Amino acid sequence: MTANLAANLIDYQSAPVPVREDLVAAQRRAWARLAAPGTWWDGATRVALAAETRQALSCRYCADRKDALSPYALDGTHDSVTDLPPVLVDVIHRVRTDASRLTERFYLDALAGGLTDAEYVETIGVLATVIAIDSFADALGVARPSLPEPQAGEPTGDRPVGAKPGLAWVPTLAPEDMTDAEAGMYDGMAAMNIHRALSLVPAEVVGFFDLDAVCYLPDAVLRDFGTEYRDLTHAQIEFLAARVSAINQCVY
Amino acid sequence: MLLRGSGEHDGIDYDLDAIIGQGATGDVAPVAHAALLSAYAEAFYESEGGLASVRGRIADEMGPGCLIDAAATVAIFDAVVKIADATGIPLEDAKAEISEDIRGSLGIDQFPSAGSKTGAG
Repeated sequence: MTANLAANLIDYQSAPVPVREDLVAAQRRAWARLAAPGTWWDGATRVALAAETRQALSCRYCADRKDALSPYALDGTHDSVTDLPPVLVDVIHRVRTDASRLTERFYLDALAGGLTDAEYVETIGVLATVIAIDSFADALGVARPSLPEPQAGEPTGDRPVGAKPGLAWVPTLAPEDMTDAEAGMYDGMAAMNIHRALSLVPAEVVGFFDLDAVCYLPDAVLRDFGTEYRDLTHAQIEFLAARVSAINQCVY
Repeated sequence: MLLRGSGEHDGIDYDLDAIIGQGATGDVAPVAHAALLSAYAEAFYESEGGLASVRGRIADEMGPGCLIDAAATVAIFDAVVKIADATGIPLEDAKAEISEDIRGSLGIDQFPSAGSKTGAG
């Protein structure tokens, strides 16, 4: 399947109200990117990560664990739909279903289980992209798009040489430590911490925040309170965003 | 913080208690259609089937474009919180300092993930 075919799976013709063209275009770019080889995962793995992101919501073990006093109180096996290694399935399922109780121990356990730090970060980038598109469909009341067929090819294996530990659990790349290889990664962004969270895999920063800018607001107009760029006002968008974060028990 | 910034620009002291689903206390103003937007976010995460009804109300009372913007906002923040929680990325020091009073009064520092992100807890 080509990138164009993957992108064409995003279609809101049956939506109850018209969907902004910039939203459709950004989601199509994201879906094409999902199917293509990434930085550390090939296309087949990236699409499998997407399938597990969806599956996590109906996983019995995840449901029981979320209800447990501690996420470490229960042993069990995930209801998986892929042949991804267990450590990867656990990362996807737990982040999807119980993110607010994650601690650095969870991340270190993933590394001890065989993931590299960059593979972990790309996994989170794929998961977040799929959530953003699936949740939009859910919130709008339309069917989620079919997952794309993976594209052949090898991951690039590009790791920023200036990435450093310290800011987050995962190493991150500060703007002042960027080289020509990462040039443009923070274009259009203020390089705030949330942008830097995925910066160990620059392609995930670019891809996810391409989607973010059309779903939310571009950084350049976030504080332009004198002009409204959406049908919702700045205040309404910020209120709704804060309400979603609070429901998720997240400080962001 | 951007909600507070928006209020300061407009000379409005917004009701921030509504962010955590509580009624206003003190002399504050609601964000326009805040109750409906809050109901939309809550229905999105609940399984009782109320989402369709709230969705219809937003389209009818606020307009179709507002429904798209609301769906997009819910969707992207549903994803952003996962990135934040899964990477342990903290709030910037300046943001943590500026928002300390709000986080405390709204109980946000009691969230499980707050300690690693704000220095609280």
